[in-house]
Amino acid sequence: MADWTELDEALADYTDSCNNNERLRKMQRDWSRVLHFICSDNDVRFSMHVDRGEILSTPVGLDGVPDIVVTTTSETFCDMFWGDLNPVQKYLRGEITVKGSQEDVMRLDAISYVIWPDS
Amino acid sequence: MSSEMTLRRSVGTAAATATSAGLAFAAIDYLGVVSILAYAPGTTAVFAIFIGALIVVLVSAIFSELNGLYPTAAGIRLYLGRAVGNRTALSVTFTYMTTVVLVIAADAFLIGAAVRHVLHEPSALAYVWIVVLLGLALAANLRGVRLAGWVQTIVTYTVLAGTSVLSIIAIFHVGGAFHQPFNLFGGGSFSGIQAIAFALFLYAAFEWVTTTAEEARRPQVITRALFIAPALIWFVSTLFALALAHLVPYGVLHGSATPQLLLGTRALGTVGEMWMLALTVLTALNTFNGGFLVASRFMYAAARENNLPRPFAKLNNNAVPWVAVTSLTIISGIVAALVFATGQWLMLVSVGAAIECAIYAVGSFCVVRLRTRVTSERPFRMVFARPLASFGVVLFSALFLATAFADPKNSRHFSAVPFLVIAVLGVVSTLYVALVVPRLQRAASARTAQRRPTRRPPRPGASPEVAQNDPAAEERP
Repeated sequence: MADWTELDEALADYTDSCNNNERLRKMQRDWSRVLHFICSDNDVRFSMHVDRGEILSTPVGLDGVPDIVVTTTSETFCDMFWGDLNPVQKYLRGEITVKGSQEDVMRLDAISYVIWPDS
Repeated sequence: MSSEMTLRRSVGTAAATATSAGLAFAAIDYLGVVSILAYAPGTTAVFAIFIGALIVVLVSAIFSELNGLYPTAAGIRLYLGRAVGNRTALSVTFTYMTTVVLVIAADAFLIGAAVRHVLHEPSALAYVWIVVLLGLALAANLRGVRLAGWVQTIVTYTVLAGTSVLSIIAIFHVGGAFHQPFNLFGGGSFSGIQAIAFALFLYAAFEWVTTTAEEARRPQVITRALFIAPALIWFVSTLFALALAHLVPYGVLHGSATPQLLLGTRALGTVGEMWMLALTVLTALNTFNGGFLVASRFMYAAARENNLPRPFAKLNNNAVPWVAVTSLTIISGIVAALVFATGQWLMLVSVGAAIECAIYAVGSFCVVRLRTRVTSERPFRMVFARPLASFGVVLFSALFLATAFADPKNSRHFSAVPFLVIAVLGVVSTLYVALVVPRLQRAASARTAQRRPTRRPPRPGASPEVAQNDPAAEERP
């Protein structure tokens, strides 16, 4: 089980990878969303504010009204944000659950795919 | 209130119902009514459509229970996987997705034929219209253009209301006559069963609304849509069948790909023809928007899961899986051109109806199986689930056979062509899953083994060797 410190470290790396990827920024130029993440195995919850493809902040707690809510274990979140797992495989096995539009779910996976095509 | 309940943009009952009805009520449904008239002539078709609606209540209950268990776009993979195993689930899903291609191809062909008919152009120009329509759909999809939810809702209700109003005008039109009422089994008991099976096709694809479960405000929204949308389709189809039976002789309908235009012309002349043409074009907005979205995203996910070749996951700068969308367009275009060249447009109805019946049988089986295997709470529980779902397996299997061996133009003939088409699709899917998918999975495993070490730093106290050389980090407990 990962705690907030580990998740925060993973999120910092993820934010850096996203914001410095030119192709991803271009692809997500019209994507502004608020995401909520809920760890199913502990009480950790956090948010992500994305503005035109740029991740602005990843505060702890559920901040704002979400467009997407992602729920899975803290370990899966950590591995996902470090690019060490394929989120689609987890999603299709029902181990990651998402609330939000199909388009947003695909965009979320597209981020991982563009940053880490070998994941 | 928890955040799960308060998405900024969520789908309510009216929008979900419109999505369900819009997915089901495509241009091919006008031809579907003609197929019913072949087996249940005149006003008798109304009884077949009504019995079809009663059977669809069972389908609604089945998919409501399955959707409640797995409220996700990947639901079909999950409940099939849990019930019959992952490999069979993949084969069935691939076959199921071919219905999306059939519906897109059918709409491209039917709208091309309708536009050509109204403009009085040579029949060969239908090919040009098919290419133009699919080209426009491809361009819009590649640019990431989507119909806003409210536009989709308005389009669907406009098509349903427009068809109903014109049908009512036609029913009260002087000069027509109703024939052969209350005679469902006049052509023999088997013709009645086939008429009911074709009636089921009118509702086909309404269950695809379950792929929007993740957007629903509450789980009950999808359940309500699954019950309300078929009622709307029943109402509109009944009026349309009555209107056709009243004003257009079956001999005229028999050879036409555009029965709705014939009805419009007979009811209101040129105004009626243009009215029905406009509605036919509107149905394409839903088909091309929803159909392309469902199928291309399925292909993307399958490629990301290493069940399709990796190029199908390639994204363009609008975050659209462009290889998947382009392939879908090309295949739909080829199918539409083949249908036009052979004149076998009613065969699409037979194949689509049979595949839907097979899927309903599989869905029924999943309910029976998962009642034993999965004990978790469901937001919707069927009453008498085991006996009703078991009955569903038998009923939908019988209806599958009735449509798979039907000649949709002639109730006195049998045809094995629909069955052969489905058998080929099923065999190709099964062979692909058995022979090609394992190779793709092995290639993916080889890539994983060769890839960079995991990026996640080792937890303090953990062995660094283990952390740095873990090729299957996703399996970390």
